[in-house]
Amino acid sequence: MGINIKNLYVNYGGLDVIADLSLTIPEGCFFTLLGPSGCGKTTLLRTIAGFVQASKGNIHFQSQDVTRLPPHKRNIGMVFQDYALFPDKTVAENVAYGLRARGESGDAMMKKVRHELEHVGLGHVMDRHPAALSGGQRQRVALARALVIKPQVLLMDEPLSNLDAKLRIQIRETITDLQREANITTVFVTHDQEEALSMSDQIGVMNKGKVEQLGTPKEIYATPRTSYVADFVGAANRLNVRLADANADGTARIQLGGASILARNTLPSAVQEGILIMRPEDLRLRPQAAADGQGLQGRIVKRQYLGGKTSYKLALDGDIVISVESHGDNHDGFEIGTDVSATIDPSKAMVIAS
Amino acid sequence: MMIKASDLRAPWLWLSLAALAVLLVFIVYPVVNILTASVFGGGENGWSRLLNDPRGLSAILNTLILATIVTITCVLIGVPLAYVTARYRFFGKSIIALLPLITLVIPEVISAQTWLMALGNNGLITRFFRDFGIQLPTFYGWFGLVTVMTFVYYTYVYIGTVASISGFDATLEEAAQSLGTSPALSRIKVMLPVILPSILASALLVFTMVVGNFAISMILSNRLPLLSVVTYQAAVSEGGAAPVMQSTYATVSVVMVMLILFFNRWIISRGRFEIVQGRGAKPVSITGWRGAIIGLLASLIVIISLVPLAVIAVGAFTVSRGPVMQWGNWTLANMERVFINAPQPLVNSLIYAGVATLIGICFSALVSYLIIKKRNAVTPWLDYISSIPLALSGTVLGIGLVVSFNAGWLPLTGTATIMVLALLVRRLPFGMRSSQATLHNIPNSIEEASISLGSPPLRTFFKVVLPMMGPAIASAAILTWTTSVSELSASILVYSGGRETLTIQVFRLIGSNLMAYASAYGLVLIAVIIIPIVVATKVFKVDVFASK
Repeated sequence: MGINIKNLYVNYGGLDVIADLSLTIPEGCFFTLLGPSGCGKTTLLRTIAGFVQASKGNIHFQSQDVTRLPPHKRNIGMVFQDYALFPDKTVAENVAYGLRARGESGDAMMKKVRHELEHVGLGHVMDRHPAALSGGQRQRVALARALVIKPQVLLMDEPLSNLDAKLRIQIRETITDLQREANITTVFVTHDQEEALSMSDQIGVMNKGKVEQLGTPKEIYATPRTSYVADFVGAANRLNVRLADANADGTARIQLGGASILARNTLPSAVQEGILIMRPEDLRLRPQAAADGQGLQGRIVKRQYLGGKTSYKLALDGDIVISVESHGDNHDGFEIGTDVSATIDPSKAMVIAS
Repeated sequence: MMIKASDLRAPWLWLSLAALAVLLVFIVYPVVNILTASVFGGGENGWSRLLNDPRGLSAILNTLILATIVTITCVLIGVPLAYVTARYRFFGKSIIALLPLITLVIPEVISAQTWLMALGNNGLITRFFRDFGIQLPTFYGWFGLVTVMTFVYYTYVYIGTVASISGFDATLEEAAQSLGTSPALSRIKVMLPVILPSILASALLVFTMVVGNFAISMILSNRLPLLSVVTYQAAVSEGGAAPVMQSTYATVSVVMVMLILFFNRWIISRGRFEIVQGRGAKPVSITGWRGAIIGLLASLIVIISLVPLAVIAVGAFTVSRGPVMQWGNWTLANMERVFINAPQPLVNSLIYAGVATLIGICFSALVSYLIIKKRNAVTPWLDYISSIPLALSGTVLGIGLVVSFNAGWLPLTGTATIMVLALLVRRLPFGMRSSQATLHNIPNSIEEASISLGSPPLRTFFKVVLPMMGPAIASAAILTWTTSVSELSASILVYSGGRETLTIQVFRLIGSNLMAYASAYGLVLIAVIIIPIVVATKVFKVDVFASK
């Protein structure tokens, strides 16, 4: 069941928190809305659920227009940030709630409940109350409750944000496994880029009520179209630059800190100024003596050892400081004060419009 | 918990023991005296006399019936009112915010008096209808009791319910809707079970207050026997003789209230659901005819609750000739009497309530600190004993004090001390509850930080903990003051000539049917209650209802 959103507007107190948003989510897709708080991602999710009314535009589930349908008639499964488990009901009764609302009862229903709970590994806590569960268990009950009703779409509002780091990774897998298995169209809201990159088929990066870029995790990460996306998804050195000269093969030469490098050029032909994007992990460090004048010339001013990698700050000429992450053997081999040169593969450096 | 040698060096154990001694003498000893006097007092067994006394038995039955009816009517008014104020915005909603204030400000004796002035045999409304040839039913007995008690006590249901509805996590309703139940059904299926324990708890509170109610029962029951009335009458008629029947009735009342409190505790322990990160629902605006009707009904309830204030203000300045009120003719004579001719009740009220508040607040701050932060073998007992007054009606407490300190090793009868003691013991739970609540919220690490910086424990208490408790102590002090000033049922049993307080004076004047004088004293009484509240909230920005 795909979701089709057309020219959607949502208005809160005279302010358009979502303005003219169109989006198509294909059937069975794990779609993530990624963005910082206040970007409108939760509002969009709640509009898809029906808890927020669209002021203009419409939302279709496949061919059915659900724009004016109240939430309880949309056949959705929703997982809330704070789980929203009914505190007075047992785990089993929580999961059974949606089935009962659909007129089911008796052994056949309880069998479904048990099956769903066993599926998320909670067959043994059926008779407990939510208060007696750990955070991860509550999350899985919420998931079972949303899935047992076989919804058309599954909506999840930052479901992992209340869990600790280890558990988050575990439940991430549970969620994607269940989603693939049920092949259910899913909209997942998060502000955590790692979550978005690791779980999604498609990501929509949101900013100020608009989808700023839409694509697969790899597209979003490797070819950010805006400086905002580059910065929000992963880390990036973002430097205002002027093209020294643009080549016909789509690369351009750029003068930076007394050196010159090659980068991919996405600017229209008349434009000379843009933003150079370089991810810290794409830069390679060498001792200056061994570099033969190639790459950006600078001096290490900060150094943070992070176990599997080391993060450096490199000062270039002209008060420019860039971040570089070194991996591999001897990644911590440069001391503060060392003169180094940093090179980057021209396909990894990119100039985009400012 | 064992007592360790190190405990003996710190001051806390010794302070705990001192507090325990005080509580044993002034709370446990009186209660034990009541319980024993019902069986052994004067060589007679009160229980066998009770079983052969139809008036006593019917008093118990009537009290249970009355409490049941009033509890139901209070729920019927309080819960819908709470629901609409928590979930909707409508015209006139702001006056409903006055509700908690009204319960504090108007002493029960004044509610009873003013309802009587409006609907009694010679009341304003009664006479108005009589002029048209319509005879209203007599206000004495069931009709008046249920009406007045309902409008006095429904606010407790309202306050208890509105808090739980506002705190109810609205995402639960959304979850129910996302699973396929309609908005209305979601509310019933998901919200009702969660808020039911608080409704029940506040309903039971109303039940106990009706059982213990003295002022309204005395003034309006007329010939209908009620437990608190027969208890008081037994206490008066037994005088200096063996306190057999008063103790028996008092024991019945204690047992009744204890049973309800245990039931309440059981409900709370079963129903305390953990609400994770509740996101309360935003009130929805209703306008049009629905909004108008809801606004009108809600305002009506509040306005009826405010009637006593209006009646008393008018009555205080109305000319009277004995029991006859000459409505429409104004005078200052009544007020003159309060301030110039007979100011003793005013002075007494200020002194007794002031001293009781001061001692009560200091004592409860210290004892709460011991209970929460300095646990030792003694402190659980401090906790149990200091909450005993919750199970005692004022009448029972008064009897306990009279029986215990009439003569013997500590004769206090006729002194100002016993007046203060009655107020102090009766209102102690107010201070204890609010102090304990704040202390729970002060992390131990704060104290440990102070001690680690070289400040000794006792100094840390005064320099760090006490200032943090400040706001809660202030609000508890206001509550203790207002409830002490309006206290009647305990003080009327222990007072002696010349030690009348304002409430006692009002009560006696109502008994003599001198409503104009009663109104004047009543108006001053309300002023004595309101002025500190206004000063505290406006000048010192104290949140009076923080601990309620």
